[in-house]
Amino acid sequence: MSSLLQLEEVQLVGSQRDRLISLSLQVHRGERVALLGPSGAGKSSLMSVINGTLIPQQGTVLWRGRSLQQRNRRQRCEIGTLWQDLRLIEELSVGQNINAGVLGRRGLPWALANLLFTIGSEPCLQCLRQAGLEPQVLGSEGLDRPVKRLSGGQRQRVALARLFRQQPSLVLADEPLASLDPAIAAEVLDRLLERDADGSLAYGAEAVMVSLHRPDLIHRFDRVLALRDGRLLIDAPARAVTPGELQDLYAL
Amino acid sequence: MALPRPSAPALAVLPALALLPVLITVLAGIHAGGVEIWMAFLSAAVHPSLDPLLLKALLRALQVTLAMALAGWSLSLVLGVLLGCFASERLMQTWRWPTWPAWILRRSLALPRSVHELIWGLLLLQVLGLHPWVAVAAITIPYAALVARVWRDQLDALDPSRLQALLQGGAPPLAACCTALSPAMGTVLMSYGGYRLECALRSATLLGVFGLGGLGTDLQLSLQSLQFRELWSGLWLLGLLSVSLEILLTLWRRQSHKAQAGQRRLCLFLAGVIVAGITGSTWLHVLLPDSGSVVWQGLALPDWGRLMLAAAELPWLRLIYETLLLTVLAAGIAVGLPPLAMLLVPSRPWQVVLNAVWALMRLIPPPLTVLLLLLSNRPTLAIGALALGLHNGGVMGRLLREELEQQSADQQQAMGALGASARLSWLYGLFTPRSPGYLAYGAYRSDVILRETVVVGLIGGSGLGWQLLESLSSFHWDAVLVLIGAYALITLLGEWLNDQCRDRWLQS
Repeated sequence: MSSLLQLEEVQLVGSQRDRLISLSLQVHRGERVALLGPSGAGKSSLMSVINGTLIPQQGTVLWRGRSLQQRNRRQRCEIGTLWQDLRLIEELSVGQNINAGVLGRRGLPWALANLLFTIGSEPCLQCLRQAGLEPQVLGSEGLDRPVKRLSGGQRQRVALARLFRQQPSLVLADEPLASLDPAIAAEVLDRLLERDADGSLAYGAEAVMVSLHRPDLIHRFDRVLALRDGRLLIDAPARAVTPGELQDLYAL
Repeated sequence: MALPRPSAPALAVLPALALLPVLITVLAGIHAGGVEIWMAFLSAAVHPSLDPLLLKALLRALQVTLAMALAGWSLSLVLGVLLGCFASERLMQTWRWPTWPAWILRRSLALPRSVHELIWGLLLLQVLGLHPWVAVAAITIPYAALVARVWRDQLDALDPSRLQALLQGGAPPLAACCTALSPAMGTVLMSYGGYRLECALRSATLLGVFGLGGLGTDLQLSLQSLQFRELWSGLWLLGLLSVSLEILLTLWRRQSHKAQAGQRRLCLFLAGVIVAGITGSTWLHVLLPDSGSVVWQGLALPDWGRLMLAAAELPWLRLIYETLLLTVLAAGIAVGLPPLAMLLVPSRPWQVVLNAVWALMRLIPPPLTVLLLLLSNRPTLAIGALALGLHNGGVMGRLLREELEQQSADQQQAMGALGASARLSWLYGLFTPRSPGYLAYGAYRSDVILRETVVVGLIGGSGLGWQLLESLSSFHWDAVLVLIGAYALITLLGEWLNDQCRDRWLQS
């Protein structure tokens, strides 16, 4: 498998929670990676370094063999993030939020037009369905429904739809199951990990990395990365991770 | 494609389109000689006159303006709070008084509120003669009515449960009100009261431009005689005072927002208001010792038949159309320009430049901008709209900055991580979350602009303002009264319309 993302000796010095120490890892094409670790282990920091929100003080982050800092706007669109707090824009409608997923490929006139009316409602509806939300649920307002009037589960689907609309090559999902009931959580995870018959991810991405607090779900993934105190403790195929290792990971 | 259903950020940026017809008209009207005068004006900004005699005179005039502003501000706050309490139906119910006087008082306050301080100034000038207290009264009357409205609205919007709990416990009504309402109302008073002080300083300068004394008069005389270096000496002094005041108020506001500001802080503010009033009045008396006492010059009571006759003579359609057009264009520029300017170049250095531009725009009273533009242009409605729009754009620019400072960077980062450019990250991640609040301010500002059309109308030769000046100059009192009535009516209608929009935007 060829390497999509490569981190070499990455060092991030921030607050207690924003800390990564000599971190090296690779993510390959076609992989579904589970990122485990107790709270404050550095999972969100790692995702922020990968999506370019945090810049490490040392080390290199290579995306398709090129330094992350050298990526242009179009290449930045290749990494999509499903944030833990979703980061939907409360003041906009469902359709406008989903369309925000393609801002990286559009100019100012398109962005302004999207604030006037929902552009391209068909792709938005398609992404919404792909995220598991039938448009009928939104009532007569449909895509024009303000995001602030959605339930927690519906908001999660809209964030997922925005991610699908972005069509990223690598998906980073930061604790996407944290505040969901078990049924919705299972469905969201299905959507993120679903594969086509040819083995590629159903929504077109080449790899996905999901951070979670549920060691019982690692069998759904190909590989497990586990962090503690900013250090990488486990980097192994999912089937090779033992219950003992997981216990050690969460032990105080 | 679905029907357009503009979101709050689009509604905030699109009004900037008003700039197009205004700029086309203004640029087409520029004459060659005017460019030279403008260059002289701009170069004088870096070479203001430092003549000690002039500076002494300007400093004295600045003190007069500040004293007028302090006295007017203090009086309007005290009166406004009292009137606001008596106009509050909730307070009347608490005190077991009938609520109909509160209703009548609330309706009656609409008239003084809807008439701009300049009109009050010119009217009082006619009936009381030239006296420093005319300017103070002109500021106090509409400001007190405005403060009363805000105070009453806030009082009636408060959760009554705490007050009811105290009353049921047997507390006397006045003590219960002070205990239950003062924490929330204290914050309102300190925040809104501070803002009104800035407005009072602007109004005192503006009244001076129309001959009521202080720095405004000196600025206007310097401009009319094309003494740009003298003009800039005055502007820089005024700028220094405004910036100092703004910094003090910002520091005060930041402290007040820290929840546990407490009752001691409120008492301190109230004491400051009273001291400001006493200082302002004493200062005025010291600076202008020969002003004598106010003498009522007399004004005949209007006759209904003559009022009707005066109303029939006026070209209402044209006057109202021009006033509304002036308002729409100026409000479009004021609301739309600050976010548009930030959107085009969302960088830190550009923001610093913009802040300086907005500060300058706030500083120069709109009639002076009109006079400046008229140096190189012929009088048109577009000139008035540009002057009014830029001045109020200065106020909106600062409000926008304050709004954006309260927004966390998370959304903007999320947009950046999506690959959006800095411009689009600013638009979607930073501006959009704050746009409903900004629009609500914009709706309030449009009310102010409608009232202020009188200021540029007087100079720009358009709308009800111009007609009002004509009638005032010819002592045609019947027409003056009819026009003031019409102005009040349009302003109240505009206020009602904007209230509807504001509620919708804040709830959406």
